[in-house]
Amino acid sequence: MAAERQDAPAVEAVALEKTYPGGLEAVRGIGFRVAAGEVFGLLGPNGAGKSTTIGMLTTTISPTAGTARLAGFDVVEQPLQARGVSSVVFQEPVVDRGLTGRANLELHARLWDVELTVAETRMSELGRALGIAEILDRPVESFSGGERRRLELARALISRPRVLFLDEPTVGLDPRIRVELLDVIAALRERERVTIVLTTHYLDEARRLCDRVAIIHAGEIVALDTPEALLAGLGGELLELRVDGDVSVALAALAAHGIAAGESLAIGQTLTVPLRQASAADAIAAIQGAGLSTSGISSRQPSLDDVYLRLTGEGLAEAA
Amino acid sequence: MATITAQRTALARPARAARLPFTGRAVRTLAARRAALTAHNPRQVAVPLIGPALLALVVAPALKVATGGLHSHIDYTSFVGVGAVGLVVPLSCVFAGLSVIVDRHSGAQRELLAAPVPRSYLVLGNLLVAIGLSALQVTVLVGLSAIRGGQFHITATGAAWFVAAALLFTVFMYGVAETLASKVKKQEDYIGAVPAVAILPFFLAGALFPIAAMPAALTAIAKALPLTHALALLRYGFVDPRGSGLHDIWGMSNVTVEAWLSFAVLALFAVALTAISVRAFTRSAVR
Repeated sequence: MAAERQDAPAVEAVALEKTYPGGLEAVRGIGFRVAAGEVFGLLGPNGAGKSTTIGMLTTTISPTAGTARLAGFDVVEQPLQARGVSSVVFQEPVVDRGLTGRANLELHARLWDVELTVAETRMSELGRALGIAEILDRPVESFSGGERRRLELARALISRPRVLFLDEPTVGLDPRIRVELLDVIAALRERERVTIVLTTHYLDEARRLCDRVAIIHAGEIVALDTPEALLAGLGGELLELRVDGDVSVALAALAAHGIAAGESLAIGQTLTVPLRQASAADAIAAIQGAGLSTSGISSRQPSLDDVYLRLTGEGLAEAA
Repeated sequence: MATITAQRTALARPARAARLPFTGRAVRTLAARRAALTAHNPRQVAVPLIGPALLALVVAPALKVATGGLHSHIDYTSFVGVGAVGLVVPLSCVFAGLSVIVDRHSGAQRELLAAPVPRSYLVLGNLLVAIGLSALQVTVLVGLSAIRGGQFHITATGAAWFVAAALLFTVFMYGVAETLASKVKKQEDYIGAVPAVAILPFFLAGALFPIAAMPAALTAIAKALPLTHALALLRYGFVDPRGSGLHDIWGMSNVTVEAWLSFAVLALFAVALTAISVRAFTRSAVR
């Protein structure tokens, strides 16, 4: 077995494509690199191609074209080695409910060739860190949804993977459990020193956890940068208002006054205006000066949804 | 980044101690998982045994009384008792194949596909459990037949033929079940295929009567079925040292040669279906 390359990026994808039978192009030329120790997010709505990308990187889906490497191991040419340096927590819960939590962890440890004494130590450590030590010897069918997710995290980490894939880790969980799990995942990075590739359609998850975010739309990456840099493109404040009348007239009026020229976005009758040097009052005056009335006026900080909207013409929630 | 790299080095795994080669350990682990899940579902052990047990306990002795048996040197109770193996093994293997579909639908299969083991090990691990389960069920069946007065002639050589035939037939049938589970996506469609796969051959392969008792065309079909060879070998091992069943297939004067020929046929089918099932699983599991 070739030795893993210590100098290689933890994850490297080059022009990955996946076309399913029937012609569905789920992933169309995705490429990115993830450095060791980084938390990298794939953000996009359901059907954008996130899970398919994870599937190709974890060798559970075969790429139609392109290449990918995990710690230097090609996922197609060296699949066993690539799987050996990674672990994945899939979107759907995949623990064996008929077994205990401990049996699920032992199974993973054996399959990843972790020595028994090491595995037992890891189980104790991870059980304490993830708050499931007390329930490990219970059948998994008795676990709550949040406890099953924690068990899956423990299972994925027992082999000390170089790369941890988390596919929509908090989907389907109630808000309180989600927040707790985000805390757990955020702590993983410091504790385990593992590279994390995370897919999500939750903006707070991407913003909170990720060093960099790739925004995926219709199988392609439309933007890739740190959350702060992506948001900085929209300025510090957004003005949102409804316009009664022709929105194109409102957009022209804003442009004529040098306010957010070319950056304002209209969805139906709702305008979103990035305020940079201008004030909200200036923008409203410009629109009303064009003979249009306005309503539902609010201002807020930009979110990744606004970034997504600007890039794709759809909101993350709408696209989902 | 240098700090992270340094810490990564510090967390590197310790050197591996000497233990079983990883190959054996991985297959045993997968088999242990399947065995544990099967134990959690006792119906999978008991249900395939019900019909064959009734055959051995009730039908065969009753038919013997009603018809006078086979009118030969072979005891009819033990003849059908062994014939019932031709039903319990296919049913048991079909149940095991259903677990593959359950794994796929539950998502557990995906977790196993992400493990650093060859995909063929997933099939082999399940096969080991199917063999163990079939061994248990066949033992119970033969025991029930003996309790009902079946006459068995067991020698060391005969036992070897019996075990070899049962083992190869189980491997073949599991290959059929695994292949079917890979090709058929829905549980209901899989169950719908059971009569053709597990029950129809039982009636054509000499389970209840010698194949020579059928019309020539059906006898010719029977000779092509792996179950026919399996039953002939099983009976040669435990019931009929003269090998009448083998003679019905091959028509030779040397029963040992006939036995080896049927063994070769079974082995060929077992190897072929195992290879086919591994390929079918690998191709269907990874989209």
